Amino acid sequence: MARPAVRIQVVEFGVLVGLALLVGRAAQVQILHGRRWAEEAQAQRTERIVLQARRGTLYDRHGTPLAVTQETYHVGIAPNELRDPAADGALISRRLGLTARTWQEALRRRYAYFAGPYSALEVQPLRSVRGVHLESVLNRFYPDPAVARATIGRLGDDGLAASGLERTLDSLLAGRAGAAVVLKDRAGREYESPARVIAPPVPGLDVVLTLDAELQEIAQRALDDALRRMDADAGDVVMLDPGTGEVLALASRQRDGSARPSAFTDTFEPGSLAKIFAAAALLSLRRVSPTDHVSGEGGKWRVLGRTITDDDPQPSLTMADAIRVSSNIAIAKFAARLTPAEQYATLRDFGFGAFTGIEFPAEATGRLRPPSEWTRPSAASLAMGYELSVTPIQVAMAYGALANDGLLLQPTLVREVRSASGGGVRYRHRPEPVRRVVSRDVAAALRNLLRGVVERGTGTEAALTNFPVAAKTGTARRVVNGRYAAGEYTASFAALFPADQPQLVLVVKLDNPHKGSYFAAQTAAPVTRSMLEQALAARTVALDRARLSTAAPRATAAPADDDGGLVPYVVPWPYQPDSAGVGPRRAVPDVAGLGMREAVRTLHRRGFRVALRGWGVAEHTWPAAGDSAAAGSMVTLFADPHAGDRVRSRGAAPPRRGPRR
Amino acid sequence: MAKGRHWVALWLVAFLVTTWLVYARQTAAIRAARELADLRARRANLDGHRADLERRVRAAESRAVLVPRAQARLGLHLPSDSEIVLVPAPSGSR
Repeated sequence: MARPAVRIQVVEFGVLVGLALLVGRAAQVQILHGRRWAEEAQAQRTERIVLQARRGTLYDRHGTPLAVTQETYHVGIAPNELRDPAADGALISRRLGLTARTWQEALRRRYAYFAGPYSALEVQPLRSVRGVHLESVLNRFYPDPAVARATIGRLGDDGLAASGLERTLDSLLAGRAGAAVVLKDRAGREYESPARVIAPPVPGLDVVLTLDAELQEIAQRALDDALRRMDADAGDVVMLDPGTGEVLALASRQRDGSARPSAFTDTFEPGSLAKIFAAAALLSLRRVSPTDHVSGEGGKWRVLGRTITDDDPQPSLTMADAIRVSSNIAIAKFAARLTPAEQYATLRDFGFGAFTGIEFPAEATGRLRPPSEWTRPSAASLAMGYELSVTPIQVAMAYGALANDGLLLQPTLVREVRSASGGGVRYRHRPEPVRRVVSRDVAAALRNLLRGVVERGTGTEAALTNFPVAAKTGTARRVVNGRYAAGEYTASFAALFPADQPQLVLVVKLDNPHKGSYFAAQTAAPVTRSMLEQALAARTVALDRARLSTAAPRATAAPADDDGGLVPYVVPWPYQPDSAGVGPRRAVPDVAGLGMREAVRTLHRRGFRVALRGWGVAEHTWPAAGDSAAAGSMVTLFADPHAGDRVRSRGAAPPRRGPRR
Repeated sequence: MAKGRHWVALWLVAFLVTTWLVYARQTAAIRAARELADLRARRANLDGHRADLERRVRAAESRAVLVPRAQARLGLHLPSDSEIVLVPAPSGSR
């Protein structure tokens, strides 16, 4: 048995060793591993969260939102936290659209999660319900999902840009996500304390597209209607402003109702649409004169082992005739005056066989083989629009070059890029010339040729009464699996509106119309006219009506003093037809002294169509007032431009009279 | 001894004041955070409401809705181009 003093020393030593170990361990925890433990503690108490950046809005050219980002919610339900499961359950089921069975299943779970996403409106009544946990998430929303769906594109399920402009413009629209740290309790629930923002989210930029929502709707409805009436496989419509290269409307539709961006990605042989480009080469290189004639060969011409036929045989044709009646024989004969290199270079200059450069993630170049790969009939085939594949957007840009005095522009879908929340403009589109394709004079001559097509040729179905249109039809056999398929055709139509100083280029393509005629003259041309009429009647469509009013033949007789004070005016719609109907003869009302607006309205109410001569105050009509004319017939209204000035100079109010019947 | 008790009391008061300040500040922050969350929720709700109204207005204004109704109820029609007359107004009439 050790002495007490020794035992005490042993105990003291033991305590000292214990203390030393404790201090050592404390030093190890605090000093050596301190950082790691601190981080672990921090991780248990805090959480780093990602702050989503608001994706930029896509607008049409008039500021109509086409794609917006909105806060939506995922909803979590903790059944054991509900105060009144029956009443709360009824409310939750109603707001989230849950069936009774789904709700019962949710009640059996510890925590039920409904991904939704649900809108703020849907979850608003649930905010005050205990046991309901809302998780906000920014979601993309398309106010009118049908408008330009293929062009605008969509985000994928992962929230990343998947297609269309959403994808092309993603770097502009996406913005930059931020980060923050929030406090949480032992159970991992976040405290309602202010988050410590490490990096604030940077919202994406807003993009104003060149699309015109109203024109887009006109194009889509016209295309849908055409596909249904003609039982066609698919179709495309492209509308653009030739002066800027801005695409105003793009509609694509398949027979099954789906829409994919075929105006950019699907190629077709343009057929007679391409004849104007052969004419462009011939006129530019002065290989043909207006008086040059070629024989029509009775509608059938055998050359280089191949027979070329015309549907409308002519004994003899000039270049203008060749375009007007779309003669294969004549254009092939004229094109023989070009070398392959010249023909190829012209087509290449118009942009065929190359990307247009439009801001779209997928675009086909089409096919234009170099002369080294041509066969003997290739020159004739290319002049007729075969052995060449193009996209509708390429055709639109090439015709746009004719409208734009020979200058080919790069097409665009982006008009402006703006900072978020109405900030400054970061980018504004300016027309970007690609090259001069033909001279100004040649472009004017080619537009004249196209005008003849609508006035007296294959495109008369597209003619408007008051506005000149220049256009070309194209009906080409379709290639299926590398061969021309029997009885399958592509009907296409390219139009410039109006023919002088065009403001609009329209391209309509219909694949394989089954019902009725398959010729473009009877299929695509009337669709074009219908769209033009609707565009003219629409108030917001991007047409310069002041310029149109001077372009209209019946208005050109009355040149304005200057273009600064022109006020566009469309005769009021709705149109009120006379109850007597159309057909019987009736007296032409006296509109002398009325303002033009009132005079036109009066004549319309009587059931007459009206052609204007001049502007100012109505002076007389032809047929004259009191004469009888068939309802629906045209009455020419002559105006005196100085009458109003005379009235004003006398200090009197302009004459106003009530409509007469 | 009395001097020592004063110091203890002083430190105790300082501690209590500091604790109260921290508590008050945290309480105010949590209240502000709650108000902020409520305001955000209200704004989201209003944004959603506005988007819903805009969507309904656009749907009502669309040609798919307007044209058939105008034709059926009012006997109107889409004008042909001969019924559309652009009247150039003299300068200065704007």
